Amino acid sequence: MFDFEEEIKKFQPSLEVADIENAIRDEDLTDLRDILNELLNQIK
Amino acid sequence: MELTQKFLYQSNYWYNDGLERAKVRDMSGAIRSLKHSLKYNRDNVPARNLLGLTYYGCGEAAEAVIHWIISRSIQPRDNLANYYIKRIQQSPNELERQKQAIHKYNQCLAYCRQNGEDLAIIQLKKVIASHPTFLKAYQLLGLLYLTGKEYSNARQVLRKAHKLDNANPITLRYMYELNRVREKKPIRLKENKPQTVSYSVGNETVIQPANPDSKEKARISILLNLLIGAVMGVAVLWFLIIPQIQQSKAFQTNDDIVAYSDEIASQNAEISALKTELDTYRNASEESESAKETAKSTQASYELLLKVKEQYDSQTVSNADMAESLGEVNREALGEGAKALYDTLVEVIYPSVLETRYTSGKASYDVAEYETAAASFQGIIDIQEDYNEGKALLYLANSYARSGDTDKAEEVYQKLLDLMPDTDIAAKAQKGIDGDIPEVEDTQ
Repeated sequence: MFDFEEEIKKFQPSLEVADIENAIRDEDLTDLRDILNELLNQIK
Repeated sequence: MELTQKFLYQSNYWYNDGLERAKVRDMSGAIRSLKHSLKYNRDNVPARNLLGLTYYGCGEAAEAVIHWIISRSIQPRDNLANYYIKRIQQSPNELERQKQAIHKYNQCLAYCRQNGEDLAIIQLKKVIASHPTFLKAYQLLGLLYLTGKEYSNARQVLRKAHKLDNANPITLRYMYELNRVREKKPIRLKENKPQTVSYSVGNETVIQPANPDSKEKARISILLNLLIGAVMGVAVLWFLIIPQIQQSKAFQTNDDIVAYSDEIASQNAEISALKTELDTYRNASEESESAKETAKSTQASYELLLKVKEQYDSQTVSNADMAESLGEVNREALGEGAKALYDTLVEVIYPSVLETRYTSGKASYDVAEYETAAASFQGIIDIQEDYNEGKALLYLANSYARSGDTDKAEEVYQKLLDLMPDTDIAAKAQKGIDGDIPEVEDTQ
């Protein structure tokens, strides 16, 4: 049988509706095209 | 091919993969694939909308709303996200319920980390009751049941979690653990007895059931079942059918009784009417009979009176005989003139008759011929009860007493007492009643 204490650590709090605004603001929308452009800019 | 084009293709590839997974309710797999898709192209609107929908399917409304809002900001028009957001806005109660459920779930997580598992279980039950698609709540409750060794409850909860997301690694892991625990349980195996017994008779092999009692047991079982069936049948008959029949019989009897009562009442009324009618006829008949009798008596009385008158005039008949005839005359039936004649005859005939009888009775009494004496005195009493100041009555009573007829004697003494109370002769009558026959002081 698994260890409860370890197992419970895998559970994260669910996002509450009140936090949606912050969550949208903090959402990382970076995609691979952004990373690629960043790399190209750095090379240049 | 340009690299950016390749990224778009990759994004679409993962979107398709996510869609396939979502269709078979592999929600966690779908979320993973769709997140991949968005890593290649953050503007993949269908992938973002589907990701939101997948989160919503797992009960994560807030996560869903985030992706739909971002999707709408990327493509404000002709976007499915608008529809989803509108639907949520149209049902604020539902959103509020889910919001509360998510909040309670987070509280439960905190309880679990503070060794408040019991409280967490109670709270989680309420959470899944109010928000039945909240996958994480089922999983956490399943974990709590598992660690609390409540395997049956754990199985129920994890089955529901599995229905919501059929390839979720956490759910699968818990189900695996649950199965492992079940397999560890010792299973009682039936003793492997041989089912048949074989033996040889000559060249033939005979195979018989191993348990010789099996047939007997089967027979007993059949009999037992029949018995139980019969008992149940009797019970049903006794408790359900018979009371019904009895009740209906009682109702029928009551109806019959009421009908008979009515009939009896009507017959009684008829009988009563007939009785009244009969009584009327009887009365009428009695009255006519009485009138007839009266007429007869009147006629006889007149005839007797005329006869006595003739006898008195001719002087051929003794006074005693004439007195006897007069005694049979009904004075009340006579008219005024006849009554006057009757009274005249009585006045001239009776005194001598009474005197004769008194003398005769006294003579018989003196020689102890009490029966003869009693007859004489009775003849006097029939005409005049208080003859010779009651002495005739006293003689009569004494005659009865001395002849041994005490009942009659007592009756006559009592008559004397009633007739002449508070007199010397009444005192003598009392003496006679007391059993001491009184002497009659008679100077006549």
